[in-house]
Amino acid sequence: MTVEAVLDAVVKALKGLVDEYAVIVVDGYESMIKFYQRGVSVVQSWRHREIGVYAAIGRKMGMVWVDAEDPEKAVTEAVEAVKHSGDSPLYAPLPEPSGEPLSSVDVKLKEAASSGEVSFIVEDLELEETRGKAAGMVKVEYNKVHLITSAGADLDYEYTSFNGYARFFEGRDASGQWSWTSTRYDLAAAKRAIGQARELAAECAKLPREKLEPGEYRVLLSPMIAGNLVEEVVMAANAGAVLFGFSFFHDKKPGDLVASENLTIIDKPRDMELPEARGFDDEGVATRDKTIIERGMLKSFLHNTKTAKLMNAESTGNAGWLLPRPFNVEVAPGDLSPEEMLEALRDGVYITNNWYTRFQNHLEGTFSTVSRDAVFIVKGGKPVACTHRVRIADSMPRILKNIEALGRQQWPIQWWEVRHPTRIPFILLSSARLTTAE
Amino acid sequence: MRWDPDFLSMLVEKMASAGASYAEARLHSIRGLDVVVMNGMVVSVGRESVEGVALRAVVGGGLGFASSPLSAGREGAEEAAGRAIASARAASLSPDTISMAPARLGRARVEASERIPIDSVSVEDKISRLLEAYKSLEAPEGLKLQNVVIHYSEAVERKIIVTSDGALIETYTPRVAVFYNITAKGGGRTANRWFQLGGTGGLELLDEFKFEETMKDDVESLAVNLLKASPPPRGVMDVVLSPELSGIIAHEAAGHPSEADRVLGREAAQAGMSFRSWMKEGEIGSEYATVIDDPTIPGSYGFYLYDDEGVPARARKLYDKGRLAELLHNRETAAVYGVESNAAARARDYKSEPIVRMANTYIAPGDYSFEELLEDVKEGVYIKKYMEWNIDDVRWGQRYVGLEAYIIKNGRLAEPVRDVAIELTTKTLFSSIDAAAKDLKFYAGTCGKGEPAQGIPVWMGGPHIRLRRVKVG
Repeated sequence: MTVEAVLDAVVKALKGLVDEYAVIVVDGYESMIKFYQRGVSVVQSWRHREIGVYAAIGRKMGMVWVDAEDPEKAVTEAVEAVKHSGDSPLYAPLPEPSGEPLSSVDVKLKEAASSGEVSFIVEDLELEETRGKAAGMVKVEYNKVHLITSAGADLDYEYTSFNGYARFFEGRDASGQWSWTSTRYDLAAAKRAIGQARELAAECAKLPREKLEPGEYRVLLSPMIAGNLVEEVVMAANAGAVLFGFSFFHDKKPGDLVASENLTIIDKPRDMELPEARGFDDEGVATRDKTIIERGMLKSFLHNTKTAKLMNAESTGNAGWLLPRPFNVEVAPGDLSPEEMLEALRDGVYITNNWYTRFQNHLEGTFSTVSRDAVFIVKGGKPVACTHRVRIADSMPRILKNIEALGRQQWPIQWWEVRHPTRIPFILLSSARLTTAE
Repeated sequence: MRWDPDFLSMLVEKMASAGASYAEARLHSIRGLDVVVMNGMVVSVGRESVEGVALRAVVGGGLGFASSPLSAGREGAEEAAGRAIASARAASLSPDTISMAPARLGRARVEASERIPIDSVSVEDKISRLLEAYKSLEAPEGLKLQNVVIHYSEAVERKIIVTSDGALIETYTPRVAVFYNITAKGGGRTANRWFQLGGTGGLELLDEFKFEETMKDDVESLAVNLLKASPPPRGVMDVVLSPELSGIIAHEAAGHPSEADRVLGREAAQAGMSFRSWMKEGEIGSEYATVIDDPTIPGSYGFYLYDDEGVPARARKLYDKGRLAELLHNRETAAVYGVESNAAARARDYKSEPIVRMANTYIAPGDYSFEELLEDVKEGVYIKKYMEWNIDDVRWGQRYVGLEAYIIKNGRLAEPVRDVAIELTTKTLFSSIDAAAKDLKFYAGTCGKGEPAQGIPVWMGGPHIRLRRVKVG
């Protein structure tokens, strides 16, 4: 069954059954190479053919995702559940479509993802050379996304992505990790990221070990950890997080000062180099680049038409049928080179990567996150020792206000702990509370 | 299920004829219903059917995985067999020299017990129960409930697994879960409590969860935190932890580091490694440090009797009276270690490769009562519920922060304190336990691992435990 035939069948099944509908079919392929010190652990290849349906009967709303053999039947059965729902406080009519098809396809990636033939990537990245030294992942993806809505949208777009990361080890306690992401087969970006990871591990291995005493420090964040923390900020600016009680911006409004004036964060669905680029959102509304925080001021929450109606705002073209979502994230650069960032840090701690960010209180923003990989103790602008596994245990509002400077080079980051493609520089904090386990 | 094991056998045969030394086919279907209720109103109803075929093949020591949804039909599944072989060949360019350890493989059908079938109750009745739970919540004086979101989730999972060396497993596993987030304001501050309940079975679980009561209790906890609690104490003192805390500790500080794939480094760039990569054996704690992972507990959220490679499940002792014991293995890691798989291979859905996972992990109970644990604590702290937790990527340094906690003075609970933090190493933590209560209790969680990340249902459990002289604050 072709995608067009699936769409026709599903739309036909929905007509007369519901008052409003939107149907998305994602059709494509994805391949991933996972490697570690013992070699390539697995190459995975996925066929995507997912059918999503939004249905409204009066003010009752339902969502369905199926990849069943008989999608028409599955959708019909599922829509039955919507009839038994209640009037939703989030309901708003589907908007008139305003989006446009905007594709970003690298033919080489499309072919590799579709065939599962990714041997050339193993060779291009010389993964055999990393045996015994590194672990990581490389992914290629091609998808075509179709959207039809009862409000008149009939849109599609295609995209490819090339994303990965590497973690290098030098002995037991020196390691470095870096990632890259792109819509094209950007081998240079991949090699640059792999080189960064290798260099961090080597740099850490050369330096003496020193235990860090808990306390407040000046802290330099690499784009990897900065990307993770900024993703939390972007999530807090999601109107869905505000409504569901997970946002430390819950009592803020556009115009409020929430960060240092050095910080500007933009949601950029029109950045065609990053894999979440698109010309329309899941409601058919045109996407647009928008500033979330501008020079420290909260500029806009992320909205679909539903959260916008509830919060008396306009859709920002970030649907999500139920809740909004970010696409590509960008943090505006500063003016310091990597060397100048270290000089600006003077005496402090340079954290290169992290994971496991968890909130004690989502509304007040108290949280902690654990470093992994190299952590450099810096004196007089020079790394003098390497340590590891320190924790930032602080509050997000305080961290945001303590942003002192940013690097001028932005890095395209996406990995396990930074889910959205993020173009981001180094970030310098004037103070953050660090702890270690005993 | 439209497809029978013969179709899967044909796919296995197809991969074997193309040169696979091992081949495996899994038909994996998850059909679920989700209802989200916010402040007493239904936000949305969702249905999901994640259904497809997952294939694995080993060629030239390289492992390939491919999947295809049922919506791509039989042709899609056959095409996936070709992609599994192509993937394995690409892997063999830098091979991990993978083999599957011989195992006593099952040929069985397992249906988890379901007293009140999920489909026997209407969606309206399920919604009514959530709305009633919201209506029954009352905020104590001085506390305002800002937002209450309740998420009901049910899923029926069906699998058929066929391997080239003889496994044939069919399973039927219904699960029910309730998640909620309560936001409250009081005393000039705001706080939230997020919680999850889950189990394997039918709608009888909703009665067993008593989620209406846990929600009320959590409102009380928020009131204690916001209206009554003082800043936390600091210093070295005795700490008593509730089963909620001992459960997360069992999972994070004993279960994860005992996953053999993590020990070997297969997850090094994602979920991290393990201190057991270099600490192969020896002491990890006191005689009370016994941690078990058992998939066979009836009704548990992590229940299974055969894993996703067809190996019969059993309980695994990870720490045994303070000493490092078994690792969790699938057939791939078992081959590296020259041991038998202990059936830890689990895959979230048809899009996921089976990897080493926990099921239901718990600290073994002791013989004290809770009161006896408190009795000879002169000065300490009792942590009853937590919100923040995390652990480093080798599972050594960890931190837990209390949502509801109390000072212990002369053997009795005294005034409440908020945001009490303990941050300690796995060895310090387990070595500090000098007593465990009888009151083993389990909590549901969604465990994350793998690339792409595979969230799978688990239970985490333990009794009240007492830690002597650890750093607080």
